[in-house]
Amino acid sequence: HQTTLDEWAKDPVDPEIRAHVYSLITALGGIGDDGTYSFGDDALLCLKDLRKWLKFADGQLNRRDVARCMAEANLVKGDLLEILAKVSAKVTDDRLKHKLAVATLELLVPLTWPFEIDPVEATVNHHRHGPYIQLAQIGYKRAVLEYDRANILQTAVRIALPSMAVPLRERAPRDEGIIRIALYFIRNIAMLSPPKSVPMDIDEAEVARSAVIDAFQQQDIFQVILSIASSIGEDFVSQDVIILEVLFYLLKGIDAEKLFMEEKKLKSKNTDELKNLIQKEKSMLAGYARHAPSRHNRFGTMIWLKRGDDEQVSTISGQDVLGKAQKSMQKMDKTKKWNKPKRPGRKTDGEQEREEFDLPVSLTSSARKHIKAFVEEFLDSSFNPLFLHLRKAIERETERVETRHSRQFFYLVSWFLRAECARRRTMKERAADPKSNEVLSAEDESYGLVAEVMNQETFILMNRFMQKSEDEKAWQDLNAGMKCFTQILLTVQEMSESALEDDQEIAENIQNRIFYEESTHDRIVHTLRSYNDQGFGYLDAVTELAHVFLRMLERYSKQNVDMQVRSKKRARKIRKKKAEAQGEQGEQEGHVSETEDLAAAQKTVSERKFDFSRFAAKFINQSSVNTFVAFTKYYNELDNDQLKRAHRFFHRVAFKMELGVLLCRVDILQLFNKMIKGPEGLDQESPSFKEWEEFVRHFFRAVVKRVQERPELVVEMLFSKIPQTIFFLEHGYDRELPTRT
Amino acid sequence: PGDDGGLGIDEEIKVVKKRHPIPKLDDNRLLSDPGIPKLRRISKDRLKFKGKGHEYGDIARMLNMYQLWLDDLYPRAKFADALAIIEKLGHTKRVQMLRKEWIDEGKPRHTTREED
Repeated sequence: HQTTLDEWAKDPVDPEIRAHVYSLITALGGIGDDGTYSFGDDALLCLKDLRKWLKFADGQLNRRDVARCMAEANLVKGDLLEILAKVSAKVTDDRLKHKLAVATLELLVPLTWPFEIDPVEATVNHHRHGPYIQLAQIGYKRAVLEYDRANILQTAVRIALPSMAVPLRERAPRDEGIIRIALYFIRNIAMLSPPKSVPMDIDEAEVARSAVIDAFQQQDIFQVILSIASSIGEDFVSQDVIILEVLFYLLKGIDAEKLFMEEKKLKSKNTDELKNLIQKEKSMLAGYARHAPSRHNRFGTMIWLKRGDDEQVSTISGQDVLGKAQKSMQKMDKTKKWNKPKRPGRKTDGEQEREEFDLPVSLTSSARKHIKAFVEEFLDSSFNPLFLHLRKAIERETERVETRHSRQFFYLVSWFLRAECARRRTMKERAADPKSNEVLSAEDESYGLVAEVMNQETFILMNRFMQKSEDEKAWQDLNAGMKCFTQILLTVQEMSESALEDDQEIAENIQNRIFYEESTHDRIVHTLRSYNDQGFGYLDAVTELAHVFLRMLERYSKQNVDMQVRSKKRARKIRKKKAEAQGEQGEQEGHVSETEDLAAAQKTVSERKFDFSRFAAKFINQSSVNTFVAFTKYYNELDNDQLKRAHRFFHRVAFKMELGVLLCRVDILQLFNKMIKGPEGLDQESPSFKEWEEFVRHFFRAVVKRVQERPELVVEMLFSKIPQTIFFLEHGYDRELPTRT
Repeated sequence: PGDDGGLGIDEEIKVVKKRHPIPKLDDNRLLSDPGIPKLRRISKDRLKFKGKGHEYGDIARMLNMYQLWLDDLYPRAKFADALAIIEKLGHTKRVQMLRKEWIDEGKPRHTTREED
């Protein structure tokens, strides 16, 4: 079967559908004599019919034909926005205009509904229209944000105002519906982002986060969010998740820390960053120049590399390798054409989701100012009520709560905690500065503004969430959970250093609760150990949590020498021990599985003394080393804190825990060597370089010594170590096992 | 035309090219003479360390030794790839048992005393 041109050029949309939709759009109205929009005779009915087409033809048959027709007919910009602009002024008093506006909004919401949300079973039809519609939606977003004759977003809110004014109890379902579509419209506009898969021919800045923030500010949408969020539970109930989504799409990827930096400091930080980048580039170029050929590329040098004791030689061409043994070795390796086949990885469509909140977003200075003001107001008035309400909704597994909401909840908790800590820090600095006339210092306020997420209920929910997402391999969820936990730990840390005694006491209590559960300790160790190619954002989160947790636990257990933990033991083990003690004969085989199931269900809980060194030992093993090695491989993209994190870990392995043998592997040695000696090594000017150089030198010395003492390491250096031989390789003698007498 | 009297000389002969099996870096290859036995041999006379103050040079020489050894053993693979393959082989039972043996050989006093 051959495809003909006719067939190829065939209208992808059913012609009948197109005819119907087009005639409705034509009947809707158009530019009238006075140059403004004038309605057709039955505009309201047309709007309703169009909605029916979208709902039934597309929704029920699971097609996207109607949406595509509407996109091609320029319905949104040519009609819907015009209608909203026309009725905007009187939308609250004129009933007919209000009706028209609601009907318009009811069309706009499904049209701007982001593709990612509930991707129903995609049909061929979806794939045919998907890219076109996604691009059209970005066009809608731009049109809404840039519309100059009326504030579209504000109009949407005004449409919902009469319904919002009705007290919660007297509100009719229709009122709730109108509030919902207005908020969904705002959510859609905040959420839509240019698809990565399709090239776009519009300026990205017009639909970037900064544009959304500026529009929100200019059209008073932030005020709406604040007033709904602060009175959640009183006047609003089911809107909590929509507000959560709006916040999530507004804030994800923004650096909370930078947001609260003083303008001056930020500028100098930005210049520093630029300087650093230029420096980095310079050192990179210098690195290349050092190895670049000094003559033209057809100079044709060829060298022999004599290898070993035999007569064998390898030939390598290019004068850049002359007289440089290391370089020629490297070139020999580089010219090999075969690559180790990689296992087919995860599905690639997870790629986008994977990076959902790990992609940094930069803001224009006006957007930064606006969002900062909003975040401050939000923390002051709305954080506690909204997040308390959301937590309860998630706990109860209310119907409106979808799977993605938990992830967004925990991400935002971590985001706001970070923001609050950063804000307090700047307040403190300002108060300490004698030149400023700031009266209010951070000390005047306790951590009450974020208290609702620093309680036992949240910890329980978070722990359960982390456990669940780990069990279900929902890595992005686990990533959000880990970020949240890390931020809680850091906040507690800052609290314990507060000047207020109350704060210190609360911090102490929280730490007690966090560190009391042994299951938490085990989970952290387990997630660190089981990292397996979940992406850089996840890797960053898992190593940061492990780092922060271990350091704080170390400090805490030093202060509380006789720390107790609650551990769960399986009843079976205890029973087995009892049976052994009583000298009973071997258990009957048939019963085992049954009793095992029972026993697994009845776990007993017991308290026992916590021993930090034992925990640290559990923490350091071959798999956690592998995780940190995977992290360190990104050394050229890591910032100072991240490099420090990796450095502390390896330092702990090699010198504190005396398990350097875990690092005695050729690939790890090569990584360390490359980091320091290049080519493409760590930037020598970077602040972490020195401590890394020192560590690696120390470690290398230890390795050399060890290889001299125990030549068997030469072979072992190829492999991950087996537990039975680690002790011998480390110490040179076997561990003396306590012998039974 | 085309009738060749049933001799079949006009029939096309299908030449099936046999693909040469690509040599694999597996445990057999690793444990063969140019594999680990050779590594153990060469490491004895090639590894000469200069000690303190020469840490980086010492390790670089050691890495070079591994690289050349692997290039002989399995020229197809890049250094890092070959290392990854071998690391994985280290998880097999057979290799693990041998690894223990090699280590035990390094403890001569222990074994000889027992044999005595």
